[in-house]
Amino acid sequence: MKHKYIFLIMSTLMIFTLLLGACTTTTGEVVESEEGEGSVEEVEAPAEEESGTAGEPVTITFWHAYNADVEAKSLEETLIPAFEDENPNIEVQSVLVPYDQFRRKLLIALSGGTAPDLARVDILWVPELADQGALANMDELWSDFDQFLPGPLSTNLYNGSHYGLPLDTNTRVLIYNVDMFEDAGIAEPPATMDDLLLACEKIKKLDEETYCFADGGTYAWAVNPWIWSFGGSVTDADITTTDGYYNSPETVAAYQFLKDAVDNGYLHPGILGGGVDSWGGFGQDQIAMILEGPWFPAMFEGQFPEKEYGMALLPAGEGGSVSVVGGEDIVLFQQSQNKDAAVKFLEFLLSEDVQLQLATTGQMPVLKSVIESDFVKEHDFFGIFLEQLETAKARTPHPNWSRIEEIMTNTGTAILNGTVGVQEGLDEAVQLMDPLLPLDILE
Amino acid sequence: MLFSHKTQKRILPFLFMLPGLIFFFVFQLFPLIKGFQISFYDWQLLPGRVSEFIGFDNYLRAFQDQVFWRAFKNTLVYTLVTVPGQMILGMLAALLLTSLPKGRGIFRAIYYIPVITSWLIVSLVIRYLFQSPQGLVNYFLVEVFHIVDEPIAWLRQAKTAFVPILILGVWKGIGWNMVIYIAALLGIPSELKEAAAIDGANGWQRFWYITVPLISPTLVFTLVMLLIGGFNVFISVYLITGGGPMQQTEVMLSYAYHQAFDFLDFGYGAALSYIMAVLIVFLSVLQLKFLRKPQEI
Repeated sequence: MKHKYIFLIMSTLMIFTLLLGACTTTTGEVVESEEGEGSVEEVEAPAEEESGTAGEPVTITFWHAYNADVEAKSLEETLIPAFEDENPNIEVQSVLVPYDQFRRKLLIALSGGTAPDLARVDILWVPELADQGALANMDELWSDFDQFLPGPLSTNLYNGSHYGLPLDTNTRVLIYNVDMFEDAGIAEPPATMDDLLLACEKIKKLDEETYCFADGGTYAWAVNPWIWSFGGSVTDADITTTDGYYNSPETVAAYQFLKDAVDNGYLHPGILGGGVDSWGGFGQDQIAMILEGPWFPAMFEGQFPEKEYGMALLPAGEGGSVSVVGGEDIVLFQQSQNKDAAVKFLEFLLSEDVQLQLATTGQMPVLKSVIESDFVKEHDFFGIFLEQLETAKARTPHPNWSRIEEIMTNTGTAILNGTVGVQEGLDEAVQLMDPLLPLDILE
Repeated sequence: MLFSHKTQKRILPFLFMLPGLIFFFVFQLFPLIKGFQISFYDWQLLPGRVSEFIGFDNYLRAFQDQVFWRAFKNTLVYTLVTVPGQMILGMLAALLLTSLPKGRGIFRAIYYIPVITSWLIVSLVIRYLFQSPQGLVNYFLVEVFHIVDEPIAWLRQAKTAFVPILILGVWKGIGWNMVIYIAALLGIPSELKEAAAIDGANGWQRFWYITVPLISPTLVFTLVMLLIGGFNVFISVYLITGGGPMQQTEVMLSYAYHQAFDFLDFGYGAALSYIMAVLIVFLSVLQLKFLRKPQEI
């Protein structure tokens, strides 16, 4: 029996060595940045001072969810080689992580200390990740913030500092089905909410199975343009309360409008859950209008090459024609060992030339100077998106945004399917949302 | 030689087991222990950040959380419907196939296909079939069979959104049960059935008094496995309804996942999965204790 014990001890030891090997992080300590002081304190020496000189070659990894056919191809075959030619000591490793796995993989990598150096992330994640202490404070690493469009830049703010840089931007405009408009006798896209209702009446007369417009759910990306265009909002400007904002008469009017639209059969019931194939419906003349972003033309024409569509600004309500800001920011992780090299790559990606190059793949640029360029001015459809972006708003930048949005989604569904009255539902939501707003860090 | 022949002989089996053991320790045991630890903390995601120990707060929070109770109820409903559903239909398929004179292999393979297809794909297909108003299911109900007048808004109502998930759960499990039951049925000596038939037992009596008692260990085995599987329902819910509408179809795992990966509340997510783990172990022990006859252990 003695042998058995020795063996047990040996194998246990072996397993523990393996375990330890698998679990230790190689990144050294991650020191949280408190109010901007002494944020970067790495155990290992960072890359040589200036990597342009004959320093040690470094590799930086860049995670993104660019589509493989066009965007990632341009990045990997054109942009990165150009950058590496300029900076022979820096190698950039491009890692395409599909969007539906991106968040989970990023969180796992962060908790294991194996985060990439840079990542292109949803603009909504920046405050959340910054709140976790995952992101480097860009105020210490970047100087010129004025070159960016203010809307996309603002999505990087957390606690008064920038924790990322804008990389590309987008918004939703009204896209309408030309054939259906002709059949229904609608001369031009609706400019106001009243026009929209008139158009919906006409569309509904075409067929009981046709819908005036459609959206995928009651989340903020879908509902906020209506709230804002009716003059309502989710919180006050300083994000301290939702009371008097999310339950204001204007917000109530927006939800009432959507509820009536569902009840009248104008708005496709897919918004209540289960989703809707709005592109398919649009392509097959069942849905007359959808709100979509600048990715729509290329992808839709792939599915329905013959289908004719038009683009217009969102119909204006009491608050004007206000759409929602989308897009991606690029963030530098606190765990990165090669922050200098990463900043160099950031400078490259955010240079005029590269932003222009990204624009050719359908990514709307974030530099003021590129917006003025001939390419953008003469572009087929960037013009309408840029016009819409002038008034577009960003969803509340807050670390608890996911929870806040879930309350919005549940409330919206309950209101639209008639479980709860509009005012009553919004009042209840305010009670749930307000406790989520105060930040520990401000106490 | 480093070791004597005798020692080598002792070591050898362990060496063969080592890859499996390592896998077990690294991917099963370690996460289990770590998850237990996380469930007592306000867990911070990043290494280097201090996680606050909060004792049983995460567990207590679950008991006051309405959505948790709804998720718990939904998980129970899923288990109570899909487990008997799979067992009965699996048994039916097994009985039919064992009585087939030929072609058993082909049918067995066909019935087994759902088991090996990816959850991801069949979940998306089911979601597509139950679209409304223009889904295939609604088409058959309204246009072909005229069972209902209006298309049913399957995924939009709390009451009906769970139906596709249940149907998928049963459909996908029939094949697995069938294969196991076929093996058990073929193990029953035919003399017993013949003797019973001579004594005048009809088909049902032969099934109920001869077959069922003889394969009861197999039945208990599938019951325990299916129960564990039922409690672990996740992918289909996550993909078909995402817990919606209004978190009405949330099950325990989808809710735990939601808390951890959407809200970064890993402590609460871990506590939820531990509550579930305790439940499963408790139920499994109960079943084995009461359903298994002593002589069969």
